[in-house]
Amino acid sequence: MIAPLLVVLLASGDTSSGPPNEGVKKCDVLPQSTQSSPRIPGIFFSAVSAVSAVSSFLTGSKAGPEKSALQQDPPPQVQQATAEKKEKKKAKKTAAGTLAPDEISDEVDNPDQAPEAGGPGIGVAWKQHPSIRFGDAFRLDFEAKFQEDAHGSYTGAPGLNCPSQVLPTTCTFQLHRNRVGIQGNFFKKIDYEVERELTEQELSEKDVLLGYTPKSQWKDVNVNVKYMKNAQIQLGKFKVPFGLDQLTGVSHNDFVYRTLGANYIAPGRDIGGMVHGSFFKHGLTYATGVFRHDGDNARSKKVEGGDQTVAARVTFAPFRRVRLPGDIDVGAAFAVSSLSDDPYLPNGLRGRTVLTQDTFFQPVYVKGQRRRWEADVDWTAGPASLRAEYTWVTDGRLRQGLGDEDLPDARARSWYVAGTWILTGEQKTRPLKADGEFLQGGFGAVEVVGRYERLWFDSAGGANVDLPSRTPRAANILPSGDRALSLGVNWALNRWMKLQFNGIREQVEDPSRSPLLGGGAFWSQVVRLQLVL
Amino acid sequence: MLRDRLRTLAAIVVLSLSATAPVVAQSTPSPTPSPAPLPQPWEPFFDDTVVHEIRLAINSRDWQSLQVHYLDNTYYPCDFRWRDQVVRNIGIRSRGTGSRSGIKPGLRVDFDRYTTDQKFLGLKSFILRNQSQDASNMHERLSMLLFRRLGLPAPREAHTKLFINNQYEGLYTIVESVDKTFLQETFNENDGYLYKYDYPSDAQPYYFEDRGSNPDSYVPLPYKPETHETDPRPEFIVQLVQAINQTGDAAFRTVMAEYLDLKKFVQHVAVENFVADNDGFLSDYGGMNNYYFYQFQDRKLFTFIAWDKSEAFKSGSEHSIFHNITDGPRANTNRLMTRAISYPDLYNAYLDALIDCARSAAEPAAGVTGGPGWLEREIQQEYEQIRDAALTDPQKTFTNDQFESAVSDLRVFARHRSDFVTAAVAAARR
Repeated sequence: MIAPLLVVLLASGDTSSGPPNEGVKKCDVLPQSTQSSPRIPGIFFSAVSAVSAVSSFLTGSKAGPEKSALQQDPPPQVQQATAEKKEKKKAKKTAAGTLAPDEISDEVDNPDQAPEAGGPGIGVAWKQHPSIRFGDAFRLDFEAKFQEDAHGSYTGAPGLNCPSQVLPTTCTFQLHRNRVGIQGNFFKKIDYEVERELTEQELSEKDVLLGYTPKSQWKDVNVNVKYMKNAQIQLGKFKVPFGLDQLTGVSHNDFVYRTLGANYIAPGRDIGGMVHGSFFKHGLTYATGVFRHDGDNARSKKVEGGDQTVAARVTFAPFRRVRLPGDIDVGAAFAVSSLSDDPYLPNGLRGRTVLTQDTFFQPVYVKGQRRRWEADVDWTAGPASLRAEYTWVTDGRLRQGLGDEDLPDARARSWYVAGTWILTGEQKTRPLKADGEFLQGGFGAVEVVGRYERLWFDSAGGANVDLPSRTPRAANILPSGDRALSLGVNWALNRWMKLQFNGIREQVEDPSRSPLLGGGAFWSQVVRLQLVL
Repeated sequence: MLRDRLRTLAAIVVLSLSATAPVVAQSTPSPTPSPAPLPQPWEPFFDDTVVHEIRLAINSRDWQSLQVHYLDNTYYPCDFRWRDQVVRNIGIRSRGTGSRSGIKPGLRVDFDRYTTDQKFLGLKSFILRNQSQDASNMHERLSMLLFRRLGLPAPREAHTKLFINNQYEGLYTIVESVDKTFLQETFNENDGYLYKYDYPSDAQPYYFEDRGSNPDSYVPLPYKPETHETDPRPEFIVQLVQAINQTGDAAFRTVMAEYLDLKKFVQHVAVENFVADNDGFLSDYGGMNNYYFYQFQDRKLFTFIAWDKSEAFKSGSEHSIFHNITDGPRANTNRLMTRAISYPDLYNAYLDALIDCARSAAEPAAGVTGGPGWLEREIQQEYEQIRDAALTDPQKTFTNDQFESAVSDLRVFARHRSDFVTAAVAAARR
């Protein structure tokens, strides 16, 4: 109990700038002033926060305000209905009163709290985004997300070569994402969203002639009908409900890059329809849908990916009624896709390194069914968070042997454990949010992050059939994997701007498929400037 | 007494001779040629006294895909069998430029595509040439033999029947890959920079003119790196091209000596000309074509390596010895060749090399006076070797009559080419 008192004494006044924080009412121990972090940066507050959290853990009390909705990953679209609703409901509990542009607002679910925008007629506002509103009948928000990187890795990394150069030349700077979009609603019952990537590389005519599949520049294009909160219907293009990290919004990530598992074996976006909702005050959420394919992560220029996909995901808070430090959400998902061998190129999943995009596992020939399973846990307590996820995918290989015989399933697995800690004492939210904005009397929010992960491929069985081999028709697929340690610092300067520094150490497990001669580990570095409007 | 003295003297002489013998042997170089190199493990595979049989086991869908997408360089896994030797998990892909075919695909066979360092008889790869542009099936093998007879680097070749999943798919030519194994055997080193002159069909013809100092103008096109792919050294190709185009006459030979053995170069062109190759260094189809270019390790020196002679022999035995040298538009003449033969010694070296070709092609069989020369005998031998396989080839791109006719044309070429070239050279002497 001493530590929280110490925190109270050390905290320098009330820094909250918004309405009274609802989370404070639920706080057993700390007064409001400690809910919003002090504006003095540095290790001092890190220590204070740490002491506070540890103390809370030991006393069993909630050391900070109840985790805000934003401690959940705000999903990019409504498809992660569960987490999103939770976020919306809790958004008002954030320490700083002003919503970040990429933060999920309460308005959609709580019309009463919608900001005034000029009365019942046409109005223009810019609270989160530039917005046009026609009373309750219509709302149109303009959004933009920009992520620009400076990066480096081992000498001569082909993945970092400048696309416009004939001879291999490393490019330090990259316009990684430049997305613009609109979102809004009709009568507060039908949400819509359209988002487009501006910098995606189009295929050349030669690529198209060779049968390569162009990657769509349209990201989220969908409507969500929510006349029934427990059974909302979403149609269009959005993320298949699978994978905690994959469903975390692009500007909300704790790391510059998503996990290898999220990028290469979770489905990603596709066109389809989904029903989603929540029960028990978001204690149980679900989402299930049917999609045309199995997401754009399974596709590449040369790989068509799976066909019709059925996916479902549930999350629940198992310890809601138990006094534990922070909030723990547990999720699980599965997806089943049909796999065709119509494409003449191997249609399996692939594995590539994080930044340098070196392929350490080439796709194999598949046919039959692709089955994905996933389980995850997401714990948030005060300034800290911890996430872990395990994913398992098997691909059928009917008649894929050299003699047209069936082969044992190809298999991909991944896991990661990730932790974050906000040094400046704010409550952990996604997106990371500063109580005191940089150059506005504060320093912003500074967070240290760490993650260890593995993605690996092999065949389920087959060891008794043949010797392991790297061919795309091997009965016994020679295992290949990548282990990555990511360490970094996030600095949210204000509502719009975030800087991320990541160092990534990677080790490709099969030396012959490592980008480095002899197969040693290598470090990559990346600095990302993110601007969200 | 005298007998004893004579015995003693004889003993002294014998002892003296035996004592000095090693010294004499060490100080006098042996006139005999250096011992033949040890037989290489792959030699049986290039044994051209037989028609080989190569069997590939491949997923039936992959073979169909390879034929449908023959323009694509996609690799497909398969198992390889030659005689009683099986190599598992190799990779094959469609290959070629003008010779690409979806009916009878030319193939590149890579033993180490999926298994690092996997080799077959010491080879990492080889080519199965489909002869889709050569009704006789012999142009390649005959041309490369002539290059090698004249001491110029060229791949070895032999004919083979190809079976896919135990079904005969046609007569092919096994062609040695120009790779590090080839370099090591040919030049006794392999760490230099090897490029393949890659002439895309839609590219502007290139005659070694100066494209400026930007390396991008030369590498990876038209000079595609085959070794050190991620770290090519295009600057030396730039320097070579600029030396060809910018060096004054007085310094040309001295400067060029650093980059090229010009005598070897004109020999290379002479052999191509002798076999009437329309698609070689002095190609009819747009500047240069069909050669590898090797820069020796730790030196600026380059050398040419012959490649793809499918178009040889087609122009007939009266193919001009100055074809595309002096008999074309000036803008289309090769800058290097034009400058080289402007020097009398290199001009004569070119003519001498043509005479060497003529003599080699007309060389009678050992112990025989008159009769067919080496080239004609070789044609007959190859014809007898491959005839059945060619006639029963289910995927051939020519009729059996065209095959017989093409072989007859080759015989005519062999009978007359040497005389024609000898006469043309005599007329061309200055």
